[in-house]
Amino acid sequence: MTNYIPTIGIEVHVELKTNTKIFSNSINGYGQMANSLTNVVDLGYPGTLPTLNKEVINLAIKAAKVLNCNIRREMHFDRKNYFYPDNPKNFQITQSRTPIGYDGYVEIEVEKTKKKIYIEEMHIEEDTCKSTHRGDKTLLDFNRAGVPLIEIVTKPCISSSTEAKLYLEKLKELLFYSDISDCKMEEGSMRCDANVSIRKNEQDLFGTKCEIKNIGSISNVGLSIEKEIERQAKLLDSGETFKEQTRRFDNKTCDTVLMRVKETGNDYRYFPEPDIPYLYITDEMITEVEKTICMLPDERRTIYIEKGVSDVNAKKLIQNRELSDYFNTLLSEKTNFKIASNLILGDISAYLNKNEKKITDTTLTKERFLELIEKVDDGTLTSKNLKDILDVILEKDISISTIIKESGIENITDDSTIREIIKKIISENPESVSDYKAGHDRAIKFFMGQVMKETKGSANPKLAMDILKEELK
Amino acid sequence: MEEKLTREEVLHVANLARIEIDEEELAMYQVKLKQILNEIEKINEVTSYDEGMLICPTENKCKLREDTAGEMLEPREALKNAPRSSGNYFSVPVVIGETGEASA
Repeated sequence: MTNYIPTIGIEVHVELKTNTKIFSNSINGYGQMANSLTNVVDLGYPGTLPTLNKEVINLAIKAAKVLNCNIRREMHFDRKNYFYPDNPKNFQITQSRTPIGYDGYVEIEVEKTKKKIYIEEMHIEEDTCKSTHRGDKTLLDFNRAGVPLIEIVTKPCISSSTEAKLYLEKLKELLFYSDISDCKMEEGSMRCDANVSIRKNEQDLFGTKCEIKNIGSISNVGLSIEKEIERQAKLLDSGETFKEQTRRFDNKTCDTVLMRVKETGNDYRYFPEPDIPYLYITDEMITEVEKTICMLPDERRTIYIEKGVSDVNAKKLIQNRELSDYFNTLLSEKTNFKIASNLILGDISAYLNKNEKKITDTTLTKERFLELIEKVDDGTLTSKNLKDILDVILEKDISISTIIKESGIENITDDSTIREIIKKIISENPESVSDYKAGHDRAIKFFMGQVMKETKGSANPKLAMDILKEELK
Repeated sequence: MEEKLTREEVLHVANLARIEIDEEELAMYQVKLKQILNEIEKINEVTSYDEGMLICPTENKCKLREDTAGEMLEPREALKNAPRSSGNYFSVPVVIGETGEASA
């Protein structure tokens, strides 16, 4: 097969996290009884009029900001006309000519090199109802009709399935962190379409593009792009030409399948929506929204790493917004952030998952957490000891030192006691002493294990290690 | 000769509107639709507007609604006018294979 250059553009639909729908005051909710979240506007009754939700505009401004877009100040909505049962008024209200955001970008890192994925435009529109196909009928649930969406369209500047996946992960992270959408692809609150074309040389015109619709996960976006490139390459290699078409990704066969050709371009007969007057975005509106933008993932990552958190832990923390927000409350303090991140992501996370709790539901205030970090840092608490008292630490509002004292697990920090124990162990294990002297690292671990066994885990590990090394000299 | 649209143009429009038309209607619409288009063309003769968009004749600004929930219909009420329903769902002839979803 010839090596072709792929050109990929991605369109993403994201449902906005509002209380109510975009043009009506019925609830924007998921997983409720079918057709229980509707009113006459959502059902497209004649004579009803759309009333634009303020929060939709705020979230769209916020999205434009985090995606580095310019914000249009004067805009209108358009009707996109088509006949299909998912939209009984026979048009979707969208923004065709005056998208709220334009010329933005998202930065990704491909093999240590930064690349900007350019965003052509992002516009606001309404979602349609959900159709489910059952035998010879199609069932319609209008709970989704009128849910606010933003559609984010990239320029055709993505050149591989890897870049496409990185872009989507970044986009998801940004929108999720900014509380714009919950971005749950499995629930359809984030949906992706990919436009793929291939050509032989950079200088050639773009090849015929095919669109893959409604791909259900980021990994499937990658897979479907790869399959589509392969399919087009085979056709071109055998001298065939093909028309622009819409395909869908089939989860079962892991391949793209042709869908029925639908209306395109002019067939939608776009015209301005006469029921919604001009919308003006003021400086004040933008300033108000800017105040609500929290620290974004990239900035968090940089700060965490500066503070000594490992790359892996920084990534894990950012994946969990709640823990990352909690961690951020420590940033102004002087503490051991490496230990802090290990504690949060290790034992504390295990406790939270097991008990289905949020970290803010526990009694671990910032002050108590700082004390805990200190006790681990100075060796007062070993990891084994910590496990024993963690439930108490997270459920009771008593100082950490009191808990340690009351539980009787205070470490043996008495030099002479530990030294006695170590001397005894060394005399009982002459072979390991020779191993140690021969330079085997395992031997010191064995001795530490024995010390901990002998002291039932209560020896201060730092102190024990120091004495052990002294005694082994 | 009478100005008219081609057969294909009329059939295309009929398809977009999801209506069936017979030969007699087809011939009629070839003429009538062209007449409508000619009327609309006249708008182009009007002096052009100042720059910027003009979507309505008034200077009204869009007022935004607060994001608070109001009354909704009970599923039973919502389905009252439906020719066919199934459980809490509206039921229509199967449309699988089509791609008319608006999210394009």
